[in-house]
Amino acid sequence: MKFKTFAAFVGPSVFMMLLFIAAPLVSVFIQSFQVTQPILEQIEVETCTPGFLTQTCTTEIKTVPALDENGKTITETRWVGLQSYQNVLQMDKFWSAIGNGSWNQIMQIDFWKALRFTLTFTLLTLPLVIGVGLAIALAVNNATRSIRGPVIFVSLLPFIITPVIGSLSIYWLFVGDGILTVMLERWSGQNISMFAQSWTIEILMYFYQVWHVAPFAFVIFYAGLQTVNMDTLESAVIDGASRWERLRHVIVPHLMPLIIFISLIHLMDTYRAFEVIVGFRSQAHVISLQWLTYDFMTPDDAGNRAMSRASASAMLTMIGIVFLLILPLRRTWRDHKGSAH
Amino acid sequence: MSTPKAMQQSFALRFSSGAFLAIWCLLAAFPIFWITVMSFKSPVDAFADSPLDVIFGPVTRASGDGLSVVDIVLGLVVLFFAIRWAFTRLPALVRQYCPPGLIVLGWLVGALVYAIAFVLVFFGLLPLILGLLNGLLGPLGTPVLGLTTDHYVAVWAENEFYRNFLNSMLVTAGVVTISLTVGTLAGYGLARSGSDLAFWLLIFALVFRALPHSVLVAGYLPVFINSSEILRPIFGEGAPTLYGQPWAVIAVLVSINQPFTIWMLRSFFQNIPAELDEAARVDGCSHFQAFRRVIMPVMWPGVITTGLFSFLLGYNDFLVTSLLLDAQNQTMVPAIAGYFNRETTTTDQVEAVAAAVSITAPLFLLVMIFQRQIVSGLTAGAVKG
Amino acid sequence: MFLKRIALAGAVSLMGSAALACSYQNEVPIKSLSAGFEAWKAVTDAMAECGNFQAELDQEFRKKQPAAFEANPSLYHIGGVANGTITPLLNAGTIRPLDDLVEKYGQTLKPNQLIRINGQIMAVAMMVNTQHLMYRSDVLADLGIATPTTWDEVYAAAAKIKEAGVMEYPLGATMKSGWNIAQEFVNMYPAHGGAFFNADNTTAVNSDAGMAALETMKAALEFTDPEVLVSDSTYVQQQFQQGKIAMANLWASRAGAMDDEAESQVVGKVAMAAAPKAVADGAPATTLWWDGIVIAKNISDEEAEAAFRLAMEGLDAETVQGANDAAIWLVDGYQPTEIAQGAIATATANPAPPAYPSTTQMGLLHSALGNELPSFLTGERDAAATLAAIEEAYTTSAKEAGVLK
Repeated sequence: MKFKTFAAFVGPSVFMMLLFIAAPLVSVFIQSFQVTQPILEQIEVETCTPGFLTQTCTTEIKTVPALDENGKTITETRWVGLQSYQNVLQMDKFWSAIGNGSWNQIMQIDFWKALRFTLTFTLLTLPLVIGVGLAIALAVNNATRSIRGPVIFVSLLPFIITPVIGSLSIYWLFVGDGILTVMLERWSGQNISMFAQSWTIEILMYFYQVWHVAPFAFVIFYAGLQTVNMDTLESAVIDGASRWERLRHVIVPHLMPLIIFISLIHLMDTYRAFEVIVGFRSQAHVISLQWLTYDFMTPDDAGNRAMSRASASAMLTMIGIVFLLILPLRRTWRDHKGSAH
Repeated sequence: MSTPKAMQQSFALRFSSGAFLAIWCLLAAFPIFWITVMSFKSPVDAFADSPLDVIFGPVTRASGDGLSVVDIVLGLVVLFFAIRWAFTRLPALVRQYCPPGLIVLGWLVGALVYAIAFVLVFFGLLPLILGLLNGLLGPLGTPVLGLTTDHYVAVWAENEFYRNFLNSMLVTAGVVTISLTVGTLAGYGLARSGSDLAFWLLIFALVFRALPHSVLVAGYLPVFINSSEILRPIFGEGAPTLYGQPWAVIAVLVSINQPFTIWMLRSFFQNIPAELDEAARVDGCSHFQAFRRVIMPVMWPGVITTGLFSFLLGYNDFLVTSLLLDAQNQTMVPAIAGYFNRETTTTDQVEAVAAAVSITAPLFLLVMIFQRQIVSGLTAGAVKG
Repeated sequence: MFLKRIALAGAVSLMGSAALACSYQNEVPIKSLSAGFEAWKAVTDAMAECGNFQAELDQEFRKKQPAAFEANPSLYHIGGVANGTITPLLNAGTIRPLDDLVEKYGQTLKPNQLIRINGQIMAVAMMVNTQHLMYRSDVLADLGIATPTTWDEVYAAAAKIKEAGVMEYPLGATMKSGWNIAQEFVNMYPAHGGAFFNADNTTAVNSDAGMAALETMKAALEFTDPEVLVSDSTYVQQQFQQGKIAMANLWASRAGAMDDEAESQVVGKVAMAAAPKAVADGAPATTLWWDGIVIAKNISDEEAEAAFRLAMEGLDAETVQGANDAAIWLVDGYQPTEIAQGAIATATANPAPPAYPSTTQMGLLHSALGNELPSFLTGERDAAATLAAIEEAYTTSAKEAGVLK
């Protein structure tokens, strides 16, 4: 295909990605090395605010931004090098904690805490999602034809449901005296609070994630199972391969590209975990990297947002995902080299 | 297709695989079933400790809202036949009355008609008949199951949720159409080009896909709000404010969704033999003509599957729509989140649950209809990695 | 049954839009952005009756309000603010002085309602809000406990209730990590005599008062649900309504919900009292808040006039009488009922609790508190280390914001 034709085909798509993804990304990259501040001045302000019946007036020195003649805030932008990265990573504390050998101290630093959770969340759920997805696919494939339709339908529900609503629906089952907590309490005879300590919250979050993503893995594996070569399978049977051996040596290799595809998608989506933190309200115990970024740039009541640190943490998040993706992508590169020309 | 003897399974295996499937279905459906139950109860019942209270809703029943045994039996019967009909007769009808080229459109129309008919029968005709029956039957006709539709009425009529619904439809339809148009072209181009440029484009797309969305959205907000000022030198006085415009949000969502779309479609096109369009090219077609004449007729399974994922993304998006749309153009998901914030009451929460169930209903319908297409689309190769 | 309901609802909403309760017809299209709680719903509904008005009620309004008002023309004409959220608008100069408009249309306003900054009216308040003690009067009376006035008494009462086996967790607390838990500290710390900032804008929380405030907060954990770090005001309100807790320091705007028969199982059993004090002769451990309206600067004078006139229509006695228990209104025509007594006692206490300090620094400190306090309450970090961490987090963000050099 000539370059010109190729460009015409991919042009619109590339243009949109450049405009709405690459451009903000570049600006985030630049901002992570800058700090933009308003020029502040200290002035005496008298503020009168209402009580229930009478007002109280206070006079105090306030630090407020200076305005120019058009009524716009005057800001200055400085290059600060890696300062914002340092503020996010807090390497001095990190090294001193390493020096003390104190895991707990490292976990006090937001970034490392978020990184720890994001990585365990991503890597622990990955095998579970693939395992559960494959198991469901095999079981459905095994089931009588007449019930397959409804079963596939029900299985897909957790995947299609809006994530915020999905996580809330599980949150409600367990929070406080939610019905499942009450059931667990009755069964174990103990008082259980699922949202009082981080490990139970984490377990629930893992459960939610597997519940939410396994259907996606399932439907793809199920599609893959439809194309398993029956002849190979039958010859394996003739060779006396047990069911388990057939699974290991015929079916799994056949599904290998799909496993990699799902791993890739799952790594990316789970690494971005955000809704699950909001849905389970786990901020006090566990946070994820995207939540950290979001928290930095959410303005407080006074309108401050830590854009520089948000940008730095976003860039760090991105570096992380590139590392995670290198492994699965090496194969794509080999395929590309193999299939091209 | 008969199973060869050696492939036949022992009873234990069949049983355990069946049991596993049953447990999974229970797990998959239970949370959704539960919020549906909650949405029909008064706030006191919805958040009660005991599951039985939530199901039977004594407080709801006490206030005079409920279903009698007759209601339940008849309702279930109607429901059963409605679902059966949707799986059996509906597909046949659509195929019969729909011109072959427009099967997707036919399905959409069919689904819509079906949904409207269902709502009319189930919520219009049935209550009328049951009202009569309950009056006649005495004890069988007294409510045993507390159930109230107050929250749905509040959500849809008082809070004008239908506006959010229409906005959602607009945004989702826009996202799906544009995403697929742009994505199919790019996917085809990438699949047929073996150049390193194509490969690196895909890798960059992948990295883009992995980006945390909150980062992007933070970048858009100031630009969108001030766009009228920024664009004035170019467009003059008519420069639009992008903030709050559905089409601006559509553009953002399409872009965010592009990486996934082009990956899916590229893999799909790779599985369509290149000989097909090469033959067309030998006949003197340009690449575009070959695409239109040869590829377009066979690409639908993959496009439908990819479109479904685009639909989910547009429909379920929270971060982008909540920040970039104002109240008049708000879609459903951020509208619901509004119920959950700092100053809410328990009634608000149950209304939010009712709204959440309402959101899920169209997704139900969609999956019901396109289920076969998803599987066949994926089988046809959209997922070869 | 269902059809009738739907038809009825439709008819009601039709009637609502047909019968205009407004004294004039608004001709200028006006938009507003505010929070979405009950009081705002009442006010914006009243404004909508005059026509040509679109209200955006959004609890996350603070995310876009500063930017939306800075745009030219401003995306909204009327803004709903509280004493925290007015700060960015004041700082950026995106709201206009209202003196002339108040003179023209604000005859019914009381002087107490006019928020003055350096003598200029910048906002019109409509209600005050504060956290105060809500308690189950029946439970306390059964056990012969007098209404607690200090936190020590609250804990003593909680211990008694727990001991008597009435409730397992007698105390509710809005300690959801983030904004809520930080607010608890902001209540407690000045009541222990602490000042938030030094003269050079560095924070002073790392002090004895800070330690005392943390100790008081931690003492609550013995009596609260273990899941207190996810509980926000809605959750505490729900616990109250379900009869699971007996006492909580909760927002006055939540009081009405206790007597809502559709939701509450404890109708008439919850009483309100002034917020508990941290030290016996001090001020109640809470802060005073107000909510009110501002008018954007980047709009034409005609629009501003129409917007203000419309806002006055929303803030009239009629609105307040229609939603009397939705808030502690400052507007004429408000009849304080039983459930407002606690809030009024709090606001008129002597010494009075401070108003929430609305400054840039406070915004930064509030976020720092919200992020660092949870690990103290989970026990991962002791009080001294927590205060040091708060100070450090504040310093980092204050430097980034340019407040500290």
